Amino acid sequence: MQMKHIRKWARILHRDLGFFFFASSLIFGVSGIALNHLNDWDPNYVVKSNFYETNYNFAQRDSTSIYINLFLTEINEIDNYKTHAFLAGNRLKIYLSGGSSVLIDLLTNNADVELLKKRGFFYDINYLHYNPHVWWMWFSDFFAASLIFFALSSLVMVRGRKGFWGRGAIYVALGVLIPKIILHFF
Amino acid sequence: MKKIVFIAIVAILFTACSENTKKTGENAEQATEATEATDIEEIAVVDFEKAAASFVGKEVKIKGIVDHVCKHGGKKLLLVGDGASLHAYAEERIDEEVVGSEIILAGIVEEKRIDEATCLQMEEDCMNSHKEGVKTDDEMEATKHQVEFYRDSMKTAGVEHLSFYSVKYVSHEIVEQKKLEE
Repeated sequence: MQMKHIRKWARILHRDLGFFFFASSLIFGVSGIALNHLNDWDPNYVVKSNFYETNYNFAQRDSTSIYINLFLTEINEIDNYKTHAFLAGNRLKIYLSGGSSVLIDLLTNNADVELLKKRGFFYDINYLHYNPHVWWMWFSDFFAASLIFFALSSLVMVRGRKGFWGRGAIYVALGVLIPKIILHFF
Repeated sequence: MKKIVFIAIVAILFTACSENTKKTGENAEQATEATEATDIEEIAVVDFEKAAASFVGKEVKIKGIVDHVCKHGGKKLLLVGDGASLHAYAEERIDEEVVGSEIILAGIVEEKRIDEATCLQMEEDCMNSHKEGVKTDDEMEATKHQVEFYRDSMKTAGVEHLSFYSVKYVSHEIVEQKKLEE
């Protein structure tokens, strides 16, 4: 096959696959940035923490339910109650809907309330990033294979000074060098 | 062209709507599977540690509250109850919505044994990783302490190995939520 034909098909496929994977590129790109910074933020939830000093004796097992009811009513979370459990280390955990919870120190009866609110868009794209289903795995494999194709086809798509044999080679060399440097020094 | 775009949008919306129905269907399927297996012994989380040895390789039902589902893969869950806890591992992703629900988990009990051979292997692997620069000084120290803890525990208990039990997830059913007393 002549180089002219290879170039033509590289452009056609690069363009059409690019359109097809428009959404996937955004999903993996945006969630990739979000998940890269796990130390700086929670990409799935907005977390609101509150601390309360209470006078309820939660450790008194025959009254625990009543005290939980009173406390959750006080903090307007009674409608979100799911269940509660006694944990090791003298702690009581109250589970609320949506992953929120209250952790109570049974020695002091102090309560740490952690209210979670899903970051709708980020939650969904991060969910997809973690490969939730076998069908998504195959689709994202196809996407990954297309990324390889995008890289290889970019080498032949443009001729002349703006192509690989012009400034393209400098960019490619830089792109290879950066991961090499990171691997060498870190 | 407009027609094609319209059909594509309708198809996307239809798929998005049917996704929720499918998820609910899968949960129902899991619940049915668990209900069908009625002859399996049911234990509470708090009794698991004591009973686990006699159930290794067998399927059990364990009643407890889901404290946590691993956010990364969604394939690990922590079941708690009355000061005790246990880990269950699944091959498929577990729906995060189950967190905070009381469930009856059906799963196969697995045992991980730690003996002197395991300790020696851990030490050797750790030394090699440290030499290759994979493990830091702190990580090597942590592994040393862990091995020391295992040896002390075996010595104190007068046993040749320690057993750690976990559960391989098969299915679950959600227990109806109890109302709070007023």
